[in-house]
Amino acid sequence: MFRRKKSVILYLLPGLIGLTAFSLAPFIGGVYFSMTDGTFQNNFVWFDNYKEIWQNEMFLLGLKNTMTLSLFCAPAIWLLSFLLSILLKSLGSRTVFFRNALLLPYLMPSAALLLIWLLMFDYGGVLNRILVGLGFSRVLWLEGSALRVPVVALYIWKNLGFSVVIFSSALQTIPEAYYEYARLEGAGPLRQARQITLPLLMPTAFLVFILGWINAFKIFKEAYFIGGAYPDEAVYTLQHFMNNKFARLDYQDVTTAAYSFAVIVFVFFGLLYATRAVRSADRT
Amino acid sequence: MTEASHIQARAPRGRTRPGKVFSIVLLTGIAVLILLPIVFTFLYSFFPESEIEAYLKLRGSYDDTQWLGVLLSPKLATIRQYYTILIEDPQYLKLFVNSVKYSAGILLGQALVIPMMAYALSRFTFKGRDALFFILLMLMVLPFQVTMVPSVITLRFMGLLQTPWAVILPMWFSPFYIFLLRQFMVGLPNEYLEAGMMDGAGTFRCYTHVVLPVCRPVLGAAVALSFADCWNLVEQPLVYLSSRTADQPLSVMFNQISTDNSGVAFAGAALYILPALFVYFYFQEDILLGVALSELK
Repeated sequence: MFRRKKSVILYLLPGLIGLTAFSLAPFIGGVYFSMTDGTFQNNFVWFDNYKEIWQNEMFLLGLKNTMTLSLFCAPAIWLLSFLLSILLKSLGSRTVFFRNALLLPYLMPSAALLLIWLLMFDYGGVLNRILVGLGFSRVLWLEGSALRVPVVALYIWKNLGFSVVIFSSALQTIPEAYYEYARLEGAGPLRQARQITLPLLMPTAFLVFILGWINAFKIFKEAYFIGGAYPDEAVYTLQHFMNNKFARLDYQDVTTAAYSFAVIVFVFFGLLYATRAVRSADRT
Repeated sequence: MTEASHIQARAPRGRTRPGKVFSIVLLTGIAVLILLPIVFTFLYSFFPESEIEAYLKLRGSYDDTQWLGVLLSPKLATIRQYYTILIEDPQYLKLFVNSVKYSAGILLGQALVIPMMAYALSRFTFKGRDALFFILLMLMVLPFQVTMVPSVITLRFMGLLQTPWAVILPMWFSPFYIFLLRQFMVGLPNEYLEAGMMDGAGTFRCYTHVVLPVCRPVLGAAVALSFADCWNLVEQPLVYLSSRTADQPLSVMFNQISTDNSGVAFAGAALYILPALFVYFYFQEDILLGVALSELK
């Protein structure tokens, strides 16, 4: 660790300038922007825009959908990647192929896979064949609220592997001796999982959950590819609302919507961090 | 006592055997399922254009008696699709080159800025470091749309809006990669740097000769992950280059050109996937190792 080195400023400067110019200043400047009325005089109207936006049906719809989609995606990815990494661990060291297969979609461009996806979810597609084979009836996946399924499926397909990799690497750091001792004492696999794996995995699990949730808030890409700029109500996300308002040069609405969302995100993460702090305080 | 329990008692590992087979079968199934869309994209890229076009026209039928078949082998395997998009019709290639330009521009800038920032945040103590890191985390959490409008104003003020730089420049300062690298550098043992300083190296020599080489895995991981982002860029070009169709990357335009010429869509998709595939296989070890060694907890 270097202390009292003046040169630190040289390493920080490029990044600081960039972050200030492209993220921080826009973020702060935007607060002012969301409180003006967007007319030629640019009057300061305090919270009028916010009052308006919270009565805007499309905004509420987008917010609701973004929340529902991420409320489904984040826990699903979290649980699936946890189970998969436990499975991987049970295989020992020969897992390279499986880990590669799981992580590969993370680097695949969604647009390239879209066509295959649409074929799969077509009314006469593979998925419906399987459903009929299992004795169910066909589903119109690409219309109405069922559209959520292909969107969520594409999202999970793409993002599952990264969480698995993080979980797997955390599992590897747990010393094998713990399990051996537990076995000697007669603890079964379930008990081992509950008393060794879970507690030691908690910090990682927390991080995977947070990263998963952040990314799930950004689910726009998948919804945009499958549904377009004006998709069915079921997958109309907040980002659709903002992008479309932006295209109509309605900047006040975009920033106001953005900050309403930012506040929700910040409150959410604040709560998560607070609960985490309380829990770790309990432990010690 | 039955024979089975006898064996179990002798070989404590025997109990996990059936479980292991089950894991292998299950994981193989999942891996195949996950890889199938990619495999089929490549398979379909060798079909004749007319066959693919006719096949794609069958989509979206509501007829309960009809199924959309799965094409498994072409009537005639051909690389005609590739010929069309690479040589006959330059439209695809132009967009592909745009994507390459954006990715190269973004990655080069990130290579300059991000490791230095992570170095400063992890190996130096200075006033406000924790606050800065906290701000970074906050920025990382925000979706792109939150700062979209103010960014547009900043970029317009700089005269960069509707130029490729509007997409490239802001990506140089991606908080997530600063976070990823910082988490790795924090875990480096102090002895490495102390050894460097004993030999008379300053902070910069420590950076280039000690920190960067040691960070090889996480740098590889960051390059691969960041490339995936660049190659899949949608939101930024949609907004910053809204009036410049010719400058759009493949990620934005691919759907449109593949609906216009559906016969070559799969060759287009396969070519589009290919660079990501190469990057992945080149850096796969780094990704696994980089994530494993970073303090992502």
